[in-house]
Amino acid sequence: MKGLRKVLTPFAPDQSGAVSVLYGLGGMIVIIDAGGCTGNICGFDEPRWHNARSAVFSAGLRDMDAILGRDKLLVSKIASACSRIDASFVALVGTPVPATIATDYKALKRMIENETSIPVLTIATDGMKLYDEGEAMAYKALFDEFAKEDGKLEELTLGKTPLSFGDGHKDNTLDDYKNLGEGTRLIAASSSGIEAARLLGKPCEIYSSAAGEMAGSVPSGNVLVCHDEVFGKTLRDRGIACDIATFFTLHDDVRKEGDRKITEEDEFTELVRNGGYDVIVADECLKPLAEDFGGTWIDAPFFALSGRR
Amino acid sequence: MARTAVRYTAGQIAKLGKDNIPSELLSGQGLVYSSPATLAYNSPGAEGFGVKRAGLAVPESVMLIVSPGCCGRNTSIVSSMPEYKDRFFYLLMDETDLVTGRHLKRIPDAVCEVVSFLEGQKGKKPKVVMICITCVDALLGTDMERVCNACEKALGDGTRVRPCYMYALTREGRRPPMVHVRQTLYSLLEPLEKDPKSVNIIGNFAPLEDGELQKFLTKAGVKHIRQISTCGTYEEFLKMASANFNIVTNPEARASAHDMSSRLGIPYIELTRSHNVEMTSLMYKSFANAAGIDIDVSAEESEAAEAVRSLKEHFPDLVFNIGECLNADPFELALSLARYGFGVDEIYATLAPEKFKYVAKLAEISPDTKIYCNMDPTMLYYDVSASRAHISLGKDAAYYCPDIPNVVWNSDVQPFGFQGIRDLMNRIRETMKEVRA
Repeated sequence: MKGLRKVLTPFAPDQSGAVSVLYGLGGMIVIIDAGGCTGNICGFDEPRWHNARSAVFSAGLRDMDAILGRDKLLVSKIASACSRIDASFVALVGTPVPATIATDYKALKRMIENETSIPVLTIATDGMKLYDEGEAMAYKALFDEFAKEDGKLEELTLGKTPLSFGDGHKDNTLDDYKNLGEGTRLIAASSSGIEAARLLGKPCEIYSSAAGEMAGSVPSGNVLVCHDEVFGKTLRDRGIACDIATFFTLHDDVRKEGDRKITEEDEFTELVRNGGYDVIVADECLKPLAEDFGGTWIDAPFFALSGRR
Repeated sequence: MARTAVRYTAGQIAKLGKDNIPSELLSGQGLVYSSPATLAYNSPGAEGFGVKRAGLAVPESVMLIVSPGCCGRNTSIVSSMPEYKDRFFYLLMDETDLVTGRHLKRIPDAVCEVVSFLEGQKGKKPKVVMICITCVDALLGTDMERVCNACEKALGDGTRVRPCYMYALTREGRRPPMVHVRQTLYSLLEPLEKDPKSVNIIGNFAPLEDGELQKFLTKAGVKHIRQISTCGTYEEFLKMASANFNIVTNPEARASAHDMSSRLGIPYIELTRSHNVEMTSLMYKSFANAAGIDIDVSAEESEAAEAVRSLKEHFPDLVFNIGECLNADPFELALSLARYGFGVDEIYATLAPEKFKYVAKLAEISPDTKIYCNMDPTMLYYDVSASRAHISLGKDAAYYCPDIPNVVWNSDVQPFGFQGIRDLMNRIRETMKEVRA
């Protein structure tokens, strides 16, 4: 049945992706929720929260705030926090609640900027899309607010967040985005990086260091890689003939015949059952969906999929 | 500009009065800082016994979470526990569902598919399916009773289907999620003939520590002491409806007790956990009078008093910092410790008006005790270096005070009564002894 999960737990959502891009940039991140989404992000999807305090706040919405659309109350809460917290920008990260009540982010941005004189980024995530889309939305918000045409930054890696790379993530700084320019070389380390480069209208190198390290340990044969698309493409670029399947975005820059985007548990089961694969490279959380598979399984941990570090 | 965490002393708060508690110390007044305490408390499904885990307290039940993917994301933590394997399922909503509400029509089919999957592939058919819904359906005004009735009809085999509301939006409301989920669980009970020798302890989702309360009840002639967490089967759980009376050990279970009183004719008595030996003695005396039973607490009372005395003897000048992620009311615990003659330097907790009475009394003994609110954004700048505490209590206090010893005191199994006081004092003494050895 569409949308029914009997084996897998939900994947990292767009709002976690947005925060993973914005985390540690020196801004005040305000998650427009009642508290649960913030708990999911900080308590589960954001490993950096455990190591250092960061200005990530829940808007603390209550039912009447949502029903009555109390935007002024939210603005006053944020303005009050801004008067007591140092922040180089404010980022509003959406959740299902503002999606349900159709929050006007543009108006919120204007009201908060008028009140605080601090730049405001708005990321209209809704908790129903996946993390790579949220990351791309956050990149776009950063580019729109901070990037300059004459920036001198030489190189910028996009999409190397903890959700794709676990402890091997690479953090950018706010100055990186401020110094982004025409001549900056972009490296897409995961799907959101490809999308971010596309949004900038610039070419990018597509390469996953995690996949690069794994390439030597993948045996030859009929190989299926079920992971992020960049992970799969990197293996392919290293000479491993494989089909790529992904639960996340599959861009035309990567897609080849035999590759596919999957959504449901059953699709993966069918793919393995009918694909005649000898080798599967994927997070082992998918194993229960491929009980018939008798070949070699190469475990490729993918936090956004399994929540496993 | 140097930034600091906002705090008030007990003396300042007492002077301001119950109706003028500073807004920084209250819930729902500003943005909420992501501290360990707020992640646990502010997020009804996050950890500990949040709504998801609590909703599965009934034996032989499973849960279908009907929500956007984000709401179920952290459930993989709970799913990895052996007792929750094959008990969580998800029906993910998309943006069209949000606009049209079409997901509601799919729920009965999804429930049937889950039950069939469990029966066919896992060989274990559930007795109850809890349907957990979240903020989105709270705002859409979904009639879950109707949806659950449709599910029961579609199953047609007597399997019960009940709603479970994970509505973080209603946290300060009349029926917050953790109150509501208890009402849902006990609503499964059907009237049974009363057994005068049967008593329920209701309040938490893990058992009350096996100890003095059960012993007192047994000595008073009670044969069956039931808690939801100790019922091995659904049938055993249903026998809770035969209780002569309910003992409520957590105020969040009060509404359930009230429901059971009016629907099943089971009266209830509420017991309050205290860390004051004298107050605990009085509580048991009141309980014995109300229940019409005899209780001799002298041995347990002496043990608790001795544990306090021993801690005081070994560490007479001990100073505490106390958080709210622990099995105690932090303000009541602070007051009890201050009354025993210990120091309480800092408390990290949200000050609900009903807790003001403890702060007012604390101010008489320890007016300089500093009170911080875990929710206030300025906790980002909290600096423990000015604290003179030797030890911290609570999981969140360990986060704020990483360089001093900590007693987490946050287990699922709930301490209670003299036994709870005794064990906490002994744990503190042992921890300090280890540190100073």
